[in-house]
Amino acid sequence: MTKLADLSLVEAADAVRLGQASSMQLLDALWANLEAVNPQLNATIWLDREGAEAAARQADRAVRDKAPLGKLHGVPLAHKDMYYQAGKLSTCGSAIRQDFRPAITATVIDRLAAAGAYSFGGLNMAEFAQNPTGHNKTFGDCHNPWNLPYITGGSSSGSGASVAGRFNYAALGSDTGGSIRLPAAACGVTGIKPTQTRVSRYGVMPLSFSCDNVGPLCRTARDCARIMTLIAGHDPRDPTSSHLPVPDYEAALDGDLRGLRVGVPTTYFLDGADTPVVQAMEQALEALAARGAVVRRIGLPLMDAISACVGIISRVEGATIHAQWMRTRAADYGVHISSRMYPGYTIPAPYYVEALSRRGPILKAFAAEVFATVDVLVTPTIRTCLPTLEETDIDHGPPGTEVKFMAVSANTRPFNYLGLPAVSLPCGFDPNGCPIGLQIAGRPFAEVRVLKVADAYQRDTAWHTRRPPVLDAVGALGAAVA
Amino acid sequence: MDTFLAEIEQTIARWHGIAAPNDPARRMAADLIATIRAFEAQRGTLAFEDEPASFEAALLETREE
Repeated sequence: MTKLADLSLVEAADAVRLGQASSMQLLDALWANLEAVNPQLNATIWLDREGAEAAARQADRAVRDKAPLGKLHGVPLAHKDMYYQAGKLSTCGSAIRQDFRPAITATVIDRLAAAGAYSFGGLNMAEFAQNPTGHNKTFGDCHNPWNLPYITGGSSSGSGASVAGRFNYAALGSDTGGSIRLPAAACGVTGIKPTQTRVSRYGVMPLSFSCDNVGPLCRTARDCARIMTLIAGHDPRDPTSSHLPVPDYEAALDGDLRGLRVGVPTTYFLDGADTPVVQAMEQALEALAARGAVVRRIGLPLMDAISACVGIISRVEGATIHAQWMRTRAADYGVHISSRMYPGYTIPAPYYVEALSRRGPILKAFAAEVFATVDVLVTPTIRTCLPTLEETDIDHGPPGTEVKFMAVSANTRPFNYLGLPAVSLPCGFDPNGCPIGLQIAGRPFAEVRVLKVADAYQRDTAWHTRRPPVLDAVGALGAAVA
Repeated sequence: MDTFLAEIEQTIARWHGIAAPNDPARRMAADLIATIRAFEAQRGTLAFEDEPASFEAALLETREE
């Protein structure tokens, strides 16, 4: 017997479709966990229980009436509070937008709703999606479900914490420099940053037009695959979204890794890495090899050029978007937000244009050299054992705190510049009891492949099924399903 | 305050009307010297391209089939 809130997204959706559980039971089960653990985690910004109950009743009526049911029929979800839902609050994690109610609904929210899912709240996040840690001046810091003083990762902090805390089956996050993969790694869940252009960004708060990505954080790779199949694909309202057809990502998960060439970078990604993190990655590589993958150590080209360019684009674009508020309301930003934006105003335009114009040629050269040799790259998502909130608190910490803060996203940012798809999934725990994340990246539009590798790994390991200790006190709350 | 940082603060104020919001902002602005060095090291590696090209085209050209 598995408690309803412990089900994966796919299991929960299938339970509703098969009549094994009602949507209202799912909602009640999540809510019991939410009330028990969220006061410690601070993963939500607003909740709409009344609206969610109405949606659950409607979903259960559709099951009784034998109406056509979507792939997520009756599943309650909550998302990072930057996905616009017409008329509903969308704070973007900020004081500046704490009363903002957009007039439009994000395409990805519409697509999830068309599949039968409904929203029950807005999740905590870094202010304007601009930190890799989960600090938030206005709504309070989000805490790691595995060890409360430690960071959740950001910027999709509430997305990671709510899914790990078993009061959300899946959450949309956004990823401009690692903001899906970092909280996935730090909270012990699975998240994917798709290829740049794969998923529509219409109705999603922008941070950096060139590097923003939309994707899910879930309990499993299979859950991510289901959501990706629903949300990917061209959207006329986002002209930058790709016209390439969308495969059924979930149907492609067959566990077969025979002959897969796995590359482990010998440059950059392990510089200064902590031993427990490297050990966890090596054990994960053994698991992949046991399924038939061939592991190769490779040097990566162009990492100096990528490192030079990677921070320029998002820094300049973010600073530009926020220029008016930086003139008039700078004190309303957290110190770590305004301080990081400030230098963006003096980066010369030729640097920005060079960083943008080199992106295509660098991708082509990188792909030609790397993906001729390997099919995927495997790295730690975060090189070090997780830092605490205090150790990375620029607002209140001593000079130099920003170094530890920025180090968190060192391994994720390069794949934003290159536009490659990358998944993060749990592969162990550090000596402080915090999860360690494994990052798997592939060619452009290789979502099938990276999800397939992640799913195969999760068939042989149980890291993704572990429950954070913060849930121990919850006991037997919630109904069960056979 | 060193000259480099003073110049940066003046430039941002002049071009954007934005003042340094706090000391960490000044520290991070001073750190731009690292950005300049990183770009200096890349000088000469940007090839002039005669044909139109874009990142989006590169994504498609290098994609998984």
